[in-house]
Amino acid sequence: VGDGKGKRQIKRFESYKRENQLPTSVGDLKIVVDIKNQTIIVPVFGRPVPFHIATIKNASKTEEDDFTYLRINLLSPGQGVGRKDDLPFEDPNAHFLRSLTYRSTDNNRIASICDSITEMKKNATKKEQERKEMED
Amino acid sequence: MAGDYETFEGIYLDLSRQPGKCRFAASGMGWKPSGGDTWTLTNTEISSAQWSRAAKGYEVKIITRTLGIVQLDGFEQDDFDRAKEAMKAYYKVNLEHREHALKGWNWGKAEFSKSELHFNVANKPAFEIPFSEVSNSNLAGKNEIAVEFSTGDGTTNGKKKKNSAAVDQLVEMRFYVPGTVKKGEGEDG
Repeated sequence: VGDGKGKRQIKRFESYKRENQLPTSVGDLKIVVDIKNQTIIVPVFGRPVPFHIATIKNASKTEEDDFTYLRINLLSPGQGVGRKDDLPFEDPNAHFLRSLTYRSTDNNRIASICDSITEMKKNATKKEQERKEMED
Repeated sequence: MAGDYETFEGIYLDLSRQPGKCRFAASGMGWKPSGGDTWTLTNTEISSAQWSRAAKGYEVKIITRTLGIVQLDGFEQDDFDRAKEAMKAYYKVNLEHREHALKGWNWGKAEFSKSELHFNVANKPAFEIPFSEVSNSNLAGKNEIAVEFSTGDGTTNGKKKKNSAAVDQLVEMRFYVPGTVKKGEGEDG
């Protein structure tokens, strides 16, 4: 429901409410894709850190020697993408995590994580588009 | 009431691959993996302690006086009272319960403490970066700071880098920091 002022509503989202909702697989200290909760969980020095798909811009991988590098780009102000339209930031004066790069020798798993993130993002964008069309 | 010592099994020290036995006693703390060498920390090093949800289970994080951050992961939720009691009795330290942000947001506030950078989301810590793990940082662009992490087997204070133990190793993080940035600020020091 629009407020008639032409201000785009900021969509609220939250990955988890309680600690026991984290999947047990975070114990392996590997990147986890939790499709059910639309969230990627990355290990940061022993801490499982969730990022909701709504904060993610894209993911890409590059192979170098024995490693596959996975770069996850997150949405932040000043990136020049959909600047005027699709990126209302709840707090534009906050600090933002803009990207995360991981490397792993587990090349196939990293490739599959990268595909999952891309797929999840595609579906989330599609859903969001449909929601907007319904509103119009 | 705590006895001469308290022992906890299945504890991981600083992201170790192997679990070990962890012991709190008046003289200090110890950790030993089966068949491995014993690691110890004398009581005078223990400055403060925090209890949080980590990867394997719950974590006791020790902020030491001169040796940086020590992380002990793998505690059960029910271990809290026993660990808290032991910390209080042996080290006069309050094991502070720190709940982390699980919202999945990528915005918040980066704050610096003595040994770590905290990234707080909605006034709760989302993650911490121990300074000992940072290999380089630079101003990567307008309002953008890149922080690189060591991935080798390097050591600091005789301690193995935490990152080298991880399967998926964190190589770099970039932060967007709004506002005007003075020339030279954020450069590597």
